[in-house]
Amino acid sequence: MTALLEIKGVMVHFGGLTALKDVNLAVSAGEVLSVIGPNGAGKTTLFNVITGRVRPSLGSVVFRGQAIQREAAFRIARMGIVRTFQKTEVFGALSLVEGVLAGALARGDPDPETRAREALESVGLQEKAHLRADQLPYGDQRLLEIAQALAAMPQVLLLDEPASGMNHQESAHIVRLIGQLRTKGFAIVLVEHNMHVVMTISDRVMVLNYGETIAEGRPAEVRADPRVIEAYLGVQKTDARAG
Amino acid sequence: MPDSKPHPIILGAVLAGLLIIPLVVRDEYYLHLFIVSAIFVVVALGLNLIVGYVGQLSLAHAAFFALGAYVSALLFFNLKWSMWIGMPAAAIVTAAVAFALGWVILRVRGHRFVIITVAFAEIMRLVATNWVDLTRGFMGLPGLQIPALYVPGIGAVDVSSKERFYYVVLAAALLSFYICYRLVRSSVGRAFVLVRENEVLAESLGISAFRTCMIAFVVGAALAGTAGALYGHYIGFVSPDLFNFSYITIMLIMVILGGKGTLIGPALGAVVFTFLPELLREASYYRMVIFASILVIATLFMPRGIIFPLVEHLVPRRWRKGHDRAA
Ligand SMILES: Nc1ncnc2c1ncn2[C@@H]1O[C@H](COP(=O)(O)OP(=O)(O)OP(=O)(O)O)[C@@H](O)[C@H]1O
Ligand SMILES: [Mg+2]
Repeated sequence: MTALLEIKGVMVHFGGLTALKDVNLAVSAGEVLSVIGPNGAGKTTLFNVITGRVRPSLGSVVFRGQAIQREAAFRIARMGIVRTFQKTEVFGALSLVEGVLAGALARGDPDPETRAREALESVGLQEKAHLRADQLPYGDQRLLEIAQALAAMPQVLLLDEPASGMNHQESAHIVRLIGQLRTKGFAIVLVEHNMHVVMTISDRVMVLNYGETIAEGRPAEVRADPRVIEAYLGVQKTDARAG
Repeated sequence: MPDSKPHPIILGAVLAGLLIIPLVVRDEYYLHLFIVSAIFVVVALGLNLIVGYVGQLSLAHAAFFALGAYVSALLFFNLKWSMWIGMPAAAIVTAAVAFALGWVILRVRGHRFVIITVAFAEIMRLVATNWVDLTRGFMGLPGLQIPALYVPGIGAVDVSSKERFYYVVLAAALLSFYICYRLVRSSVGRAFVLVRENEVLAESLGISAFRTCMIAFVVGAALAGTAGALYGHYIGFVSPDLFNFSYITIMLIMVILGGKGTLIGPALGAVVFTFLPELLREASYYRMVIFASILVIATLFMPRGIIFPLVEHLVPRRWRKGHDRAA
């Protein structure tokens, strides 16, 4: 299986802080790779590197064989790598359709409205298409973010804590949705603190701690890894919803 | 909604009303105000693309207006080129200058953007004032004329009277309106609003904020330059007074109080805020203070402006489908 997206030896410094240290990762079409780790481990920074918002000081990001770590953010999105944000980002004052069509518009789609409606339908928001984005409850806004990303027709989808702040029912919906997207052939990188979601949906899990990969493997292997328990899972009971 | 069209009855009535103004308004002074209004409709629509649609507060717009006036005036003064060449030349030069300026400043946002646009306007003013060999400094460039218009099949038509020049500026205003109407409904124009609402998100979905803002900035400047050329030839005199800060203030009032991010709002704002200061001449010392205060208050508390919301309530809902509701 050849990887769609590969990250090789990525290093990121913020002043004296090493946010990512020699991080490697590969994800293929139809695969869900989860990236977990404590607050400040560098998960969001990893997404920022992949999407061109942060330049790595060392290493490369390779998408379909092409090095993209120097590309502008909007170009990377058009190539087929689209993300959602940890802190909800929507076009508040616009209707759902007007906002979701952004990605289709950017790709020069002749009928961005239709793409937008299809994307809204795939997350179950088609009935609310005419509402303003900021009128939606929080859970729906998280789904809207996924619709926004889908309308850009990506091959790689980066989801930054899509289930954060959601109740059981809502996170179950997210799990189903991610499962459907995987079946459709998206390569998905998932950052998530909700271990139930991670363990249910992931093909592989990678654990970051202070910018370093401390474990990687199948969910069950990672869950049993003593270093992971010490660095992250062990504190889950007391620190479950931090961040 | 982006694809809706103005109601044909309203459109027809408005057009007819605009066309008969010189037949009804026999007072030269009021006709003068209508001409100036129409010129400022072009200016306000241009500024609205930048301030209203992509949401960047540019204080360089009055400088583009003045630059357009100077370009056309200098071509006339030195080369005897008529306004019909001077006007497109003004549009091209202002667009080119806006492109060069935009290349630098559209990479920054917020107060830094605002400050650099002020600095640019100030540099332009200093050039106009001090490059005496070219601009004649404070003496300005007098004697500008409105040339005859060559109409195929009819020949040269004198359009220099107020009654006739009104139709020239009306055509410019309508054409500008149409250009902006098409632009904001195009894929570029829809990106304007997305960038304004959430730039980081728009970029993460594949929209180039830089390119999007650049298009608004350049088209807006070209409209200002065109209007400046018309204004210079109409007034007959171009001087560094055009760089006076009161111009940008009144332009912003037209756009922001008119209703930024709509097309009707700033167009009506240009008319209202051309007439109002003139009608309030008694209060001449205070009127800029009053207007500037209104601008501050409206910016803080009335994000949709004053005029657009009023119009919105005057026009029956079923006739309103033509109004852009992007704001
Ligand atoms: N732009 C930035 N400038 C300086 N430091 C940054 C920047 N972005 C992130 N950092 C720092 O880098 C480290 C990694 O942050 P990051 O946001 O990637 O963590 P995370 O794993 O996503 O954490 P969380 O689970 O809280 O979202 C943190 O110490 C953070 O403070
Ligand atoms: Mg994070």
